[in-house]
Amino acid sequence: MGPDTDKTIFSSYDRKDGLFDEVFGKDGNVKSVYQKLLDLYGARSIEDYVTLNNKAKSSFFNQGITFQVYGDKQSQEKIFPFDLFPRIIDPKEWEIIEKGAIQRSLALNHFLWDVYHDKKIVKDGIVPIELLSSSPNYLHQMMYVDPPSKIYNHISGTDIIKHSDGNYYVLEDNIRCPSGVSYVICNRTALKRALFGVFNHYKTHTVTDYAENLLNLLESVKPPGVDSPVCVVITPGMFNSAYYEHSYLAKAMGVELVEGRDLFVENDFVYMKTTQGPVRVDVVYRRIDDLFIDPMEFYPDSSLGVPGLFAAYRKGNVTLANAPGTGVADDKAIYTYVPDIIKYYLDEEPILKNVHTYHCSRPDELQYVLDHISELVIKPVDEAGGYGISIGNKLTKEEIEEVKVKLKANPRKFVAQPIMSLSVHPTYIDAKESFEQRHIDLRTYTVLGQDKQFVLKGGLTRVALKEGNLIVNSSQGGGSKDTWVLKQ
Amino acid sequence: MFYEYEIDYDTQNSYEKGLSEAFWQFLVIPEDNDTQEVTYWHFENDLGERNSVSENGLGFKTVQVRSKREIDHIKFNAHFKLKKKEINPFDFELPLNLDDELEIMNSLNFKVDYEPYLRKTKLTTLPEQHRAIFLFDSDKSVFENLTDLNYWAFGHLYFKVGVTDVDTPLAEIIEKRHGVCQDFTHLFCAIAKHNGIPCRYVSGYLHQGIGFFGDSQMHAWAEAFVPNVGWIGFDPANNLLANHNHIKVCHGKDYNDCAPLKGVVYTLGNNETKYSVLVKTAEEQQQQ
Repeated sequence: MGPDTDKTIFSSYDRKDGLFDEVFGKDGNVKSVYQKLLDLYGARSIEDYVTLNNKAKSSFFNQGITFQVYGDKQSQEKIFPFDLFPRIIDPKEWEIIEKGAIQRSLALNHFLWDVYHDKKIVKDGIVPIELLSSSPNYLHQMMYVDPPSKIYNHISGTDIIKHSDGNYYVLEDNIRCPSGVSYVICNRTALKRALFGVFNHYKTHTVTDYAENLLNLLESVKPPGVDSPVCVVITPGMFNSAYYEHSYLAKAMGVELVEGRDLFVENDFVYMKTTQGPVRVDVVYRRIDDLFIDPMEFYPDSSLGVPGLFAAYRKGNVTLANAPGTGVADDKAIYTYVPDIIKYYLDEEPILKNVHTYHCSRPDELQYVLDHISELVIKPVDEAGGYGISIGNKLTKEEIEEVKVKLKANPRKFVAQPIMSLSVHPTYIDAKESFEQRHIDLRTYTVLGQDKQFVLKGGLTRVALKEGNLIVNSSQGGGSKDTWVLKQ
Repeated sequence: MFYEYEIDYDTQNSYEKGLSEAFWQFLVIPEDNDTQEVTYWHFENDLGERNSVSENGLGFKTVQVRSKREIDHIKFNAHFKLKKKEINPFDFELPLNLDDELEIMNSLNFKVDYEPYLRKTKLTTLPEQHRAIFLFDSDKSVFENLTDLNYWAFGHLYFKVGVTDVDTPLAEIIEKRHGVCQDFTHLFCAIAKHNGIPCRYVSGYLHQGIGFFGDSQMHAWAEAFVPNVGWIGFDPANNLLANHNHIKVCHGKDYNDCAPLKGVVYTLGNNETKYSVLVKTAEEQQQQ
């Protein structure tokens, strides 16, 4: 291999003014954390890169690292689009992200405890009661239930962007069943295979210890009186979009992957059916949504859950992670109160900023939103995966009218935010056979255990692969990048 | 003075094609509270499976049965003995000042504390077109309004078995003007909640042989929260306040929180459910 063609990796890279590029400064100079990478590979031809990239991608296919998109006429397995050029985060910036993510997770955990006990934050007028009473994820069955170690959101996914002003902002908190962490690990594995030499030049934090940390967490929140807990991962099944991840995590932690019908409840204890007879289960890492976990208590038609599971949980005989009822705190309408929630419980200033959010439930804000749709992103408060989002400046006149009708019909269901200019990162685009700027965000994974917090030093950089697109969710055609957090 | 009751709850579920695995949960055990106490219980199922006593999400006792083998039916019997205090439902002093009552109901603390039972569910939302069907009188106290509502609901609906089921929308019940105790109760709850009064659905047993409506099966009535007084039971199917004839099992936001039997069965065919309830006082028992 050598620089024997005219086309090097970045020879046709086009930097647009006004976008915050993670690799190149305004003057076109390479930022210091990327300098070494460009010294090593910048002069290589694009063909060399393509060869390596294709090899890496085929290994994803061969290992079955795939996901599904809901709503496609023909469901088909896709590999998560990926390219070998990593995103690199400076240790100082990471420190802010890490502290900020832990701060948010702790504050939200306090919030969950409070709304399922004395509801002080509501009585003190900080968070309006309507946000609880109108939330289908606020589960009365969780009132006065004390989860082990008082932890509700054992695992949180915080979506963070860098705005064109160079600051990090939180876009949303995911504390039901945040997914994507398996891609973080697979991306790293792929990079280590393809570009093993580069890690000699970069002191990068490992991400492969995630499963170990997760298992430690799950074991630390075992029910009282259990010595060595049996943990399992429960999945809705192989048709779930994140099934690969469920199986990956179970395997990496060395625990069983189960579906609802593999478990049963008797006398308020949970058992797993095995060839050697029933085995008691103490901790369930559940990747099934709250309302599906137990048909006796929630959706009666759910065949994904385990009848009697919630009663066993209430009794303290099994721990569920995350706890049921966490969904009330990752409602996008609650999101806007997170800075207040942080101040209320922790008496601290928020480390990570929120994006300004308009509540369509408030008449004056709804009017503003209706008047300024073309400048705003409209999001449903209770959908995950980027479904139902409208980006104002991409809408036709007819579409704007349709959105207005929806907003007026059910204002509580929507919030709106200014269109943020997410930072861009050089991303390899297959169709163009070259690197182009694409918008990115970062999902971090925070784990709360007994007296222990851990943020995975890396996270999932998600890339909006369509030019100019701002939605990075994999279900909306997003890709990903390996994310390096450098050691100090 | 105490009344002593004996209660039998019998059910038989048959499954046309049989089933390999099943889980049933019975919400039929009377609760222990200030006015009643279960002194004896016994459960039996004809499958020889264990009857496990558990608690549902709102803290009421349940009996769970799990079957692990091929079966085509289950018979389940629950037998209780219970002591019930004589209750004078009017044994409280009403707050005289309507403004005070209103102030409590409009306070944030009240709305937060009673949020679960102010929340409207699908079965307890007063349909838009029927908002004015029963109006509260602002010159009367909450209790008086609720008593009027109880009387009005009793008159508005005609007690008729078999014309509605648990999924019948409230609008249809209001328009066709018939239903069973569940429907009376949902209507009562919907109007009470619409007026800002916390209200919950109650499931239980009714003393038989006096000619009450709804006494041959599990009965339903409502409990509404009257500021400064507490939860008061209203039985709109009989135009009564709940008294010593009402044996409470549980409460919830609506029927769905209180269904006496929930089951998960793995089967292909249809199933049929039969059940009966027998409620007697100890005296009646001896006379037989």
